[in-house]
Amino acid sequence: MKQVVVIGLGNPLMSDEGIGVRVVQALEAEGVHSRADFVDAGTSGMNALHAMAGRAKAILVDCAKMRAEPGTLRRFGPDQVVSRKELPGFSLHEGDLLNTIELSRRIGECPAEVVIFGIEPARVEMGESLSPALASRLGEYVEAVKAEI
Amino acid sequence: MASKLDINVHHVTRVEGHGNIVVRASDGRVERVEWQVPEAPRFFEAMVRGRSYEDIQTIVSRICGICSVTHSFAAIKAIEDAMGLQVSEQVDKIRMLLHYSEQLESHALHVGYLVAPDLLGQKSVVPLVASHPDVVKTVIKLHRTGNQWMEDLGGRMTHPITIKPGGLSKLPTEAYLRELKATLTGIVPDLKTLASVVLSLAGKLPAFERPTEYVGLVQPGHYSFYHGDIGTTDGKPLPVGQFEAAVNEYVSPQSTAKWCKWHRDAYMVGALARYNLNADNLHPLAKETAKLFNLKKGCTNPYMNSVAQVIESVQVVEDSLLIIDDLLTRGIKPETLKVTPREGEGAGAVEAPRGILFHRYSFDKKGNCVKANCCIPTNQNHANIQKDFEALVPQIMDRGQDEVRLLMEMLVRAYDPCISCSTHYLNVDFV
Repeated sequence: MKQVVVIGLGNPLMSDEGIGVRVVQALEAEGVHSRADFVDAGTSGMNALHAMAGRAKAILVDCAKMRAEPGTLRRFGPDQVVSRKELPGFSLHEGDLLNTIELSRRIGECPAEVVIFGIEPARVEMGESLSPALASRLGEYVEAVKAEI
Repeated sequence: MASKLDINVHHVTRVEGHGNIVVRASDGRVERVEWQVPEAPRFFEAMVRGRSYEDIQTIVSRICGICSVTHSFAAIKAIEDAMGLQVSEQVDKIRMLLHYSEQLESHALHVGYLVAPDLLGQKSVVPLVASHPDVVKTVIKLHRTGNQWMEDLGGRMTHPITIKPGGLSKLPTEAYLRELKATLTGIVPDLKTLASVVLSLAGKLPAFERPTEYVGLVQPGHYSFYHGDIGTTDGKPLPVGQFEAAVNEYVSPQSTAKWCKWHRDAYMVGALARYNLNADNLHPLAKETAKLFNLKKGCTNPYMNSVAQVIESVQVVEDSLLIIDDLLTRGIKPETLKVTPREGEGAGAVEAPRGILFHRYSFDKKGNCVKANCCIPTNQNHANIQKDFEALVPQIMDRGQDEVRLLMEMLVRAYDPCISCSTHYLNVDFV
């Protein structure tokens, strides 16, 4: 197990929603990294709990509604944001990554450093391709994650 | 006692719509009780049209982050049915092993993350870490075991990549199977712990009975999750190829989702349905667990779905151990994967953790998909949740708004509907 894990979240069938997975796929395509594992966690946020466990650093890449311009990349820690999600807890299918990070902390296995890269979507709808606003900046997102590793 | 209720649990599900609980009652009379739900993600049906049979599984595994293995298998079985492909007994058993990993993972999460907080008086699993650390630790261990098991056999933590039409792209080694056997044997005490925790709290599950029809896979002599016909407690089984005649989808005015009915106005799928159809075929330890809870075949309390999940968690581990022994006795034999596509149509069904799942596809001569249809367990349960609400609310309406709301939310949680899983994104404000 490497000290750093990069976890991409989202659904690549829902256009920009899948940006986290696209970034991880691009990183994987560059080959094995000496210091970091790359994980495509899809839409199951709970998997991130296991992927983070016992690492020194976790880098999470996800589509994020941040009231910013589409395509905007922001780097932040879990304590710099509050969730606006309204989840009644009906179902395992509702995920909130911030809750997963909090759970990881409380059970004492959260990496000392957790960095989230949020990318503002232009469109979250059925479709396998990214919007032009995000597609044109994919390389920039990948470089930002690589620099963070 | 005159009761007034005004409940509106509004569930924001972003792109798909809403999943709401609406109750209006006054002067002890129920005026309105509704389970309002969105259309489940059927977008993939359009997305797979024109795509090769080889690409279908990759796409459908992304329908749901919790049930990606199940969607993969429903699709693969439908593709194999359409193209007349037979897989070896070895592949069949390894696939069942992979399928069980998802059942364990999902059931552990459901019982630990959704049900336990209700029974322990907490809003979520996060505060349980302080109040009941051992419970959380056990649940996470079981979930993690399922997660790793899925990654080992599926090639990825979620959205598996080893499942291919006609077989598997990678077979496990005998050494790995021996390791898995040791791991699964090692979690039996954890399953017993989970069962004893749920047993100690089972008295808090509401005593609500409503007879309904139960539907799930049936295979003589087995507690089936993967093979068999469509069984029902109300009649004779139907072959999977005729699933449309079982689900009878219709449009409900209170929902954009299609609802389902068979012999009655609603039916239930999921762990309790499987239990009511197959309890006689449980393995010894699962049977012993069922005895602890005194869960009888024919139980009509939907809240007991969670207890059935605990029993099933034991069942899938016991069955997996038998499969591993069988595979090791025969030895893993290399196989080559070769498929020639052909024109045809086929259907597939497997049990998702939350109930029976159907896929159907048609392919042209080149093996490109021309038509797709999917009927997910959540859609099959919507009408049953509504009928449960209609029966439950008059029985509990004098308990006050907060308790009525909680009992209704707990009922929905018991079904664990898939209402927002096709997307995931963060929605945040900076502080």
